[in-house]
Amino acid sequence: MRRLAAIAAVAVIATVTGTACSGVGGSGEAGVYTTIDGAKQIDATAPINPFNPQGNTFLGYDAMSLAWPKNDPVDPNQFYPGIAQSWTTTPDQSEVVVHLQPNAKWSDGKPVTSQDVKTSIGLAYTQGGTAYAVDPKAAGSAADVIVVDPHTVKVTQGANKSNTFLRNVLSTVVVPAHVFGSLLPADFWTQLKLARGSGPAAEKAKASITGLAQKVITFAPPKDVSAGPFVLERVNPGEALLVKNKHFWASDKIAPNRVKVLNYTGNQQIWNYLIAGRLDSAPFTAVPSGVLNRIRQTDGNEVVKGFSPVAVSMAFNQTKAPYDNVHVRKALAYLIDRSQVTKVASPEGGTPSPTTTGIHAEAAKSWLGDSINGLDQYKPDPAKAAQELKAAGMKQVNGKWTMPDGSPWVVELHVPASFSDWVAAAKAITSQLNDHGIQASVLTSADYTLYLDELAAGKYDIGLWLMALGPAPYNIYQRIYGSANGWQLLAGNLTHVPPGKEGNWMGGPETLDGVNPGALTNQLNVADPAQQKQIVGTLARLTNQNLPMIQLYDYVNTQFVNDSRFTGWPPNDSDVLRLSAGVWMQLGLIKEQGTR
Amino acid sequence: MTVTSPVAPAPISLRRNFWRGVGRVLRRKPSRMVGVAIVVLFVFMGIFGPLLYPNPLPRDDNALYASPSWAHPFGTDFEGTDVLALVVTGTRYVLLAGLATAVITVAVGTLIGLLAGFHRGRWDSVLMRLTDLQLTIPGLPLLLVLSTVWKFTSPIEMGVVLGLLGWGGIARAVRSQSLSLRERGFIEAAKGLGLPTRHIVLRELLPPMAPYIAMNMLIAVTGAIYAQVGLFFLGVLPFDANNWGVMLNLSVFGGGALSSTAALPYLLAPLLAILLLTLGIVLVVDAMDEIFNPRLREE
Repeated sequence: MRRLAAIAAVAVIATVTGTACSGVGGSGEAGVYTTIDGAKQIDATAPINPFNPQGNTFLGYDAMSLAWPKNDPVDPNQFYPGIAQSWTTTPDQSEVVVHLQPNAKWSDGKPVTSQDVKTSIGLAYTQGGTAYAVDPKAAGSAADVIVVDPHTVKVTQGANKSNTFLRNVLSTVVVPAHVFGSLLPADFWTQLKLARGSGPAAEKAKASITGLAQKVITFAPPKDVSAGPFVLERVNPGEALLVKNKHFWASDKIAPNRVKVLNYTGNQQIWNYLIAGRLDSAPFTAVPSGVLNRIRQTDGNEVVKGFSPVAVSMAFNQTKAPYDNVHVRKALAYLIDRSQVTKVASPEGGTPSPTTTGIHAEAAKSWLGDSINGLDQYKPDPAKAAQELKAAGMKQVNGKWTMPDGSPWVVELHVPASFSDWVAAAKAITSQLNDHGIQASVLTSADYTLYLDELAAGKYDIGLWLMALGPAPYNIYQRIYGSANGWQLLAGNLTHVPPGKEGNWMGGPETLDGVNPGALTNQLNVADPAQQKQIVGTLARLTNQNLPMIQLYDYVNTQFVNDSRFTGWPPNDSDVLRLSAGVWMQLGLIKEQGTR
Repeated sequence: MTVTSPVAPAPISLRRNFWRGVGRVLRRKPSRMVGVAIVVLFVFMGIFGPLLYPNPLPRDDNALYASPSWAHPFGTDFEGTDVLALVVTGTRYVLLAGLATAVITVAVGTLIGLLAGFHRGRWDSVLMRLTDLQLTIPGLPLLLVLSTVWKFTSPIEMGVVLGLLGWGGIARAVRSQSLSLRERGFIEAAKGLGLPTRHIVLRELLPPMAPYIAMNMLIAVTGAIYAQVGLFFLGVLPFDANNWGVMLNLSVFGGGALSSTAALPYLLAPLLAILLLTLGIVLVVDAMDEIFNPRLREE
């Protein structure tokens, strides 16, 4: 009996080993591409609806935009074709004409037409924002949508122009009118025209359009109808399975027959998928060095790195002493060794910021050129820091810095507990400050939503803050001189609210060296490229001199691919690394291993 | 003049006999001696631990997540700080919070249980409904919600909250014992002598239950350690690098200790500390059981 059990055990081990060898630790199924969706976790109960934030549609696979933004460090208006084969625009972006892929079809065989685009735009109006704000005075909102022919759509911009209009129009996700069209009332476009006027009738029409938002979000089509390379077959709490869409206009470019999108509950689960060799590719995931080395040991795994237009900073609430004093902020900048912080917090996914400009270092090279060398680099210099602190009136008693009146000074640095690299960065910063006689501690918030709420309510002195969210320069500087710092753009009018009111937690002054940085940031919306470069130069200098925040490290887009089953991955620094693997397939990049 | 003199040494003799009995009980099973040694070690670490290391603890940028060595028996953390030093200096918070929790759990639970059991009637109904209410409150979800408004910066605050959430079980047990004891002859006699309620409850009813309460207090310490470390591990309580729960959190979510070996010692050190401390307390409770229970002692 015991021998039989032993033989059975050996047989099982042999079978398992054989399977493992043939599948190289992966799914082992030919033609199945396995990945995760970096934007969301899978909720099997969510509808197959791209307007639902948890919806079971996957951008680039079964959800399609008109075009795919390259997120070029300097030019936000570069795209790869999506459902739109080509597009033209006037120099001031007052008009965008979109030409659809002539052979585009939905997965049920019906053609993709201009009417689908118009319906999708109508549905986007119910959600508000970007190019489709009902308020006609909103910057960069569309004024009219005209179907020129079955494959051509013209979208015109309203009076309050923005140079982000083209980007926002081309980012429109297109859904089939024969599935989603019934959500819009027959008189929707009449109502929209009415809503863009003024008076009680306009208000009523506006309310009726925004009132559709929930209906659109909760709409659950019985099955997926996709114009992308894949169509959703089934979804369960563990994974979503998509199969190849035979009607996709470039289906010959698509190597995988199926795509599995695995669910995850946290980074740790993604690390384990990668270590097991299960994923053919994974988008940006924060990874500690030890785990990265372990992932690299798995057969076929490779790391690809590229530009990511995001940086992390330490932002000040300038309504609170002593952070209202620029000398104190400068002193802290001179005391923080950003290289050490990056080494501790994000050695694989970040590079120390060369200085504070508000822009990611890669983008800053193009925007600022050599003028970046004229800015203060804030290299670690305790002597300069002491000078700045003395200039601010701070006192040093028994090696500890105190407030000007002699009361204790405790630097409290707030971070959300769930961001492990931020927690480590904050700890490294407080350790450095404690070394230099500044009492400092880290305080964590239970989750990111609570953190943002408390930050906006002005409860924190200093908090870590995402910045440099490019590529559009307006988006970059809006993180510094936007609503968090008092500048609000409502119905085309820029106003500045007092510190501590309406989410103005940064509480910076309305003008810096006689310049209104919020107004300057707003001008980035309408400026031509040459003017933009000039404005960015000014804002970078103001930010560097006044330090509303200290730029700590710039993120690196660290992604993972596995050569065991597929090949043809984008190289390092490729702009497509900022898009989903579904788009890589549409561009003909991914090939099955051995077919190249 | 000579009548009272032989009576005086009696308490000293009793005390000496008690400690001799304690010594005998501990010696009977070596594991109990180990338990006492572990608890003494942790108490020593709690009192003197922070004095053994410089403040702030030294860091080494060139030894982030270093492997175990003679210099760093449990390696280093993400900042290159010795993990053993973090565990030792973090003992004070854990023990203080545990002790505060135990004291409050036992004080509130015993008081309510005694009053309800002794008085019965309306007192019993009101206090037991209050206890039922307390027992139905889900502790962890409440703590998660509380952590959004209360930062628990001191171990005493932590202990107060955990204690106020944990007295229900002891109150119920003490009430049951009180109901049983109040029917005994010595309580009847005390009542017959017209002794005040306070005397009966504190001097007659409480002492027989003291061993049970003392053991519950020690067990409450272990419960409190798990609860607070768990909350810190979930990341809902304030960051403190040398807190055992924070160390577990950072080793798993920041260092990937469950996915690679680099941060494994950083994970194992606080786990081992929790395990050892719990083991020490359980072994001491085992000894206490025999010390206070005459039937076990006779065996």
